[in-house]
Amino acid sequence: MTFAVDIRGVWHTFAGTHGTPTLEDVSLSVRAGERLGILGPNGGGKSTLLRLVLGLLPLQRGEITVCGVSPSKARRDGLIGYVPQRPEMEMAMPLTAREVLAQGVTWRLAPWRRVPATLAAQVERTIDLVGARDFADKPVGSLSGGQVQRVLIGRALVGQPRILVLDEPMVGVDAAGQRQFASLLAEIHRTTGVTMLTVTHDLRAIVAGSDQVACLARRLHSHGSPKGLTPAVLAELFSHDVAGLMGELAGMHVHAHGPGETCPDGPSHRREHGQEHGQGHGPGCSHAPREGGGA
Amino acid sequence: MKTLEILQTPELRAIYLDALLAGLPVTIMGGVLSVLAVVKRLGFAGQGISHSAFGGVGIAAMLLAVGLLPESEPWAAPAQFAVIVLFCLAASWGIGLLSHRRTLPVDTAIGVFLAGSMAGGAILVQVAREVANERGRVGLVQSWESILFGAIVGAGTADVALAWIVAAMVLGALWWHRRRLLFWAFDEESARAFGMPAVPVRLLAMSVLAVAIVTAMKLMGVILATALLALPGATALRVASRMTTVLLASTLAAVTGLIGGLVLSVETDWPAGPSIVVVLAATFALACAVPRRLT
Repeated sequence: MTFAVDIRGVWHTFAGTHGTPTLEDVSLSVRAGERLGILGPNGGGKSTLLRLVLGLLPLQRGEITVCGVSPSKARRDGLIGYVPQRPEMEMAMPLTAREVLAQGVTWRLAPWRRVPATLAAQVERTIDLVGARDFADKPVGSLSGGQVQRVLIGRALVGQPRILVLDEPMVGVDAAGQRQFASLLAEIHRTTGVTMLTVTHDLRAIVAGSDQVACLARRLHSHGSPKGLTPAVLAELFSHDVAGLMGELAGMHVHAHGPGETCPDGPSHRREHGQEHGQGHGPGCSHAPREGGGA
Repeated sequence: MKTLEILQTPELRAIYLDALLAGLPVTIMGGVLSVLAVVKRLGFAGQGISHSAFGGVGIAAMLLAVGLLPESEPWAAPAQFAVIVLFCLAASWGIGLLSHRRTLPVDTAIGVFLAGSMAGGAILVQVAREVANERGRVGLVQSWESILFGAIVGAGTADVALAWIVAAMVLGALWWHRRRLLFWAFDEESARAFGMPAVPVRLLAMSVLAVAIVTAMKLMGVILATALLALPGATALRVASRMTTVLLASTLAAVTGLIGGLVLSVETDWPAGPSIVVVLAATFALACAVPRRLT
């Protein structure tokens, strides 16, 4: 059975950490078309796992496949769309929202080629999909946090990837923007059926926009439905502020178990969930390299 | 006006025409590169590369002293220049790779190359003099100041040809890789996640920077070379917000600096290089006073 993302027994240790692993025997899988949220505290290994899935870090131990191929190949073939955290970008660049969004496909064009009409049309369709029409011609540096996120999601989607990876997507977006953003992601998922992998420490983002939640703090603490986020799991995960987190959960009308109760989709769930329900290599994960000239 | 007198005197006109012809390609190249340098914060890297040239001078002196470089014209000067260019290229790659791998913070990496090259260059020049004396060779006839702090007024036909060839190569490379460079400059981490080989793009940017800086230094001096990397781009980004307009405004600011600086130099008897920098700085100050941006 081939999953959209399949992670098996992954360990990762950074140099200078005296052998303490950042990731310890992490196994989970994501079916095609599924929305997986990876929740965990800062320093819990979320970004490391994400970088391994993207093929940006060398795999030390374990196995990861993305649509049945290695992360590096999936990345090169344009199977993964990536939405980064904003602080990494040079917002002073004199680029419009449309130009940034188009970068997702135009960088693959040969230098001598103009942007073909089909690609230009794809860019325009994506602008509409992410609701960026009103500010498409504005400089990206002048946009609000929510508008920039729409542009970055558009850039990730414009190449029609099989998997959309979002790194802390709610950072820098205000509360109203977060609600709109959650609706946007739901709409994109409904329209495109793209597999989504969201890494965050924001509980609201996870509960609002995930079919499955993986709780990661070096080890995988649970992997299952958002309903499985019990106080026990959250306390184990975050080690603090469980009452506040549970208040947020209650406010979002999500079933929460009492202290000490176990979750039916809890720690024992892990890989088995995917294997029970997985429908195999869905249409959203057919593997075909992208077009584009090799410049 | 002295400028008019010079224009009416054929001998003086020829001198300033050569200065203009040599300066024009360098300022156009600097104007375009400056935008990349400012938005990608490569200004200090430019300083590091330019000062690394001292190390190249030291190596050229040593090679000359041991007979591995020709002593006589017409090959002596081009051979020494080639060694300096190669050394600066190596330094730019070192800075690029060290900062890319986050082995060192980028400013530390630049500082290491800047200080190390200057110190190493000074020692090598001293040792090379002694070796040349012992072997009865001519050694480095030109002072390293004359190699590094060239004077634009007095540029010869060879300098004019070199400037146009280098500018054509640099601008050609920038155009050829424009899409990748823009994506990389805006969001390097995402560019990698999208499958772009970011290290070659980074090394390309550093190489282009190194070649442009060394050429500008040879003709105009170190201060003007680094000023050309910072001021036109900063000026353009104050007044324009679209990439095409910014590039045009930056080139215009650089050329205005060259012509205005040469006129200022003639009228006041100030040195040409500092006069050009003064005009570039004044243009930047003027741009800061402009309330609105061009689109």
